[in-house]
Amino acid sequence: MIISQLGYYSLIFGLLTSIFIFFNSSIQLKKNNLVISDKTTGLIGFQFFFVFISFISLIYSFIISDFSNETVYNNSHTTKPLFYKITGTWGNHEGSLLLWLLVLTGVLLGFIFKSRNEPNNYRLLTTLFHQIIVIGFFVFVLKTSNPFNEIFPVQKEGLGLNPILQDPALGIHPPILYLGYVGTSIIFSAALASMISNYVNKNWAKNIKFWILFSWIFLTGGILLGSIWAYYELGWGGFWFWDPVENVSLMPWLSLTALLHCIVTLEKRELFKKWTIVLCIITFALSMVGTFLVRSGILNSVHTFANDPSRGIYILTFLLVLVLLSFVIFIIYENKNFTQKSEIFTLSKETAVLINNWFILYFLSVVLIGTIYPIFLDVILDEQISVGPPFYNKLILPFLIPFVLFMSIGPSMKWIKTNFKFGAKSFFVIVFTMVLSFFTVYFIGEKNIFILLLFIGFFYLLLKSLDQFRYKTKNFAQIFSHTGFSLLLISILLNSFSSREIVKNIQVGESFTLKNEKIIFKKIAIEKEKNYESIVGFFEILDAKNTIINLQPEIRIYNEPEMATSEASIKTTLFKDRFITINIIKDQNFFNVRYQHKPFMIWIWISTLIIMLGGMFAIFRKNKEVNI
Amino acid sequence: MKSKIFLTIKILIIFILISFNLKNIAMASTFSEEQTINITKNLRCLICQGQTIHESNSDFAESMKKYIKGELENGKTNDEIFSSLIEKYGQWIVYDPGISKNTLLLWTLPLLLFLIGGAIIANRIFKKDYEN
Repeated sequence: MIISQLGYYSLIFGLLTSIFIFFNSSIQLKKNNLVISDKTTGLIGFQFFFVFISFISLIYSFIISDFSNETVYNNSHTTKPLFYKITGTWGNHEGSLLLWLLVLTGVLLGFIFKSRNEPNNYRLLTTLFHQIIVIGFFVFVLKTSNPFNEIFPVQKEGLGLNPILQDPALGIHPPILYLGYVGTSIIFSAALASMISNYVNKNWAKNIKFWILFSWIFLTGGILLGSIWAYYELGWGGFWFWDPVENVSLMPWLSLTALLHCIVTLEKRELFKKWTIVLCIITFALSMVGTFLVRSGILNSVHTFANDPSRGIYILTFLLVLVLLSFVIFIIYENKNFTQKSEIFTLSKETAVLINNWFILYFLSVVLIGTIYPIFLDVILDEQISVGPPFYNKLILPFLIPFVLFMSIGPSMKWIKTNFKFGAKSFFVIVFTMVLSFFTVYFIGEKNIFILLLFIGFFYLLLKSLDQFRYKTKNFAQIFSHTGFSLLLISILLNSFSSREIVKNIQVGESFTLKNEKIIFKKIAIEKEKNYESIVGFFEILDAKNTIINLQPEIRIYNEPEMATSEASIKTTLFKDRFITINIIKDQNFFNVRYQHKPFMIWIWISTLIIMLGGMFAIFRKNKEVNI
Repeated sequence: MKSKIFLTIKILIIFILISFNLKNIAMASTFSEEQTINITKNLRCLICQGQTIHESNSDFAESMKKYIKGELENGKTNDEIFSSLIEKYGQWIVYDPGISKNTLLLWTLPLLLFLIGGAIIANRIFKKDYEN
């Protein structure tokens, strides 16, 4: 109870510190100090410390199951394993916003440390703008989502955590995702600051690139964890469904990816200054839109913990204020501080980056419009429509082909001007691509020109990316990310075309077949755990070579809150996942068994990791340059 | 210059091929089992949270699957089944929003933005050529 109080007052102190930092940095800006004082750095440290204490207090309250705290009462239970008590801290609206705040103040502290060699007024202005966001969120947390509300009389037992959130991947999914999501805030603050302090140049690009990569890597990781979780927990073997909550994480990812390519151009050529700034603003605005859509309860999903219109209105108003602020600053400083040489040759890396941005922004607009259009239609015309996979497939897939072709040749372009040579090696790559694609399409039995073209594009990208290993100067960051991306597209395509599934209602002892595999339902057993009981089905799979594979899907009946979940049992091999789930059929002895072949599943995860690895290469390469 | 023309032609051919084939993708499927899955994958389970009928095991979804299988065996086409369901449950039930008066902007807005973006970039790149 005391700890809960500590957390609350720590938050208040944090807010006071923020207000103090805000005024302090404006005074210092006026004085035009040449060095940022230790006091300011110290205050930013304190601010983070206060939020950290508050966060730890909440975790502690969850660990000791302090049910005088409303958040703990609503989302925890004494019988839960310790790990899920801890992850339960951010498995709810209030706690997850405290995590938002923690990352928000954390990235500013990181920024102050990482930017020691940058001009002082740029650092101060960044601090100033960041404080606006910080104060906004402090007020939001304290006013509408206080995690330390007390309830009286104190309850003996909590209501428990949604069982489908009780999962290791989902336990760490929010912190990782938030590091990426909220990391974009510092990009936004720094972009505004750089505009005013006339610092939109190579050095700024070098400085902010770290934070773009940081956010990008973590956001990729967060999305990956979410997908893995959806794959094995939701029980139907899919990993991406163009669900609005998935889309809102993809949108900042897309704009970060566009920004990543822009910032390199700015760093190397001092080009696209205005556009880079606009992208910085868009990226953070999209993170806020995501927070708004998810937290307001407009979207229905597991992420929507509570429906409270006042929260949605607050975030929306705050978002509008921030966008308006950045818009005004942009208008004022747009022409004043930006001089740029505008010469771009048609065949150059600059053009390639422009085309990259063109396509990525198109994909972004598809996702954005697909996500918010139904909401508007509902509000304005009271008509409900669903915008699902068919919409995205139709608008995105055809454009992927030219996109990957440009993506294949882009990296071999040179800055300023390129002279293309079409040699024997290029010819060989094309021939090899064709052979690979024809073979693949023949193999999966989809004799369709469109699918063939997709494969040609994806394989061409793969081979062109791998081809760069021959180059004397290698850009490992780019090679890995592009290779990873092409592998990702290939695995997704293969996965979606050669997945097989069979659904049967059977009793214990019966069997069925899928392709040349025999699936035998051996027995069931009941197991009792601390926080759930489970019905375990024992299955034997006899494959073509008569090797036995054992799979044990479960139905778990959680006690607090009472809810049944279906746990998939998955056997992963290099080329194929075998995926099985069972469900009870009411009042019968039959079980509903869903058995699936999901080819190349593991490659979807691996290729995403390769994409992230590319980002890490970029970070380390940058450090090396600084050292020299 | 030569390679630019070459590239443009390549892209054009690709787009033509795509537009020819989009129709085929929509129509392809032979087995009734597979056809049922194709249909149920595009239907929202109305009592679940963001799940398709295909994925869901709810009573609603199960009875829907039976109904659709029956309709297919009766010789109904995909389109007929979809439109009868839309009539009954509203547009909300299908994941494909389709092209109608309400969704015209949904489909055209992204494409319009793509064209505008392309125009801006072309203007930027080829400006020099005009000035010379």
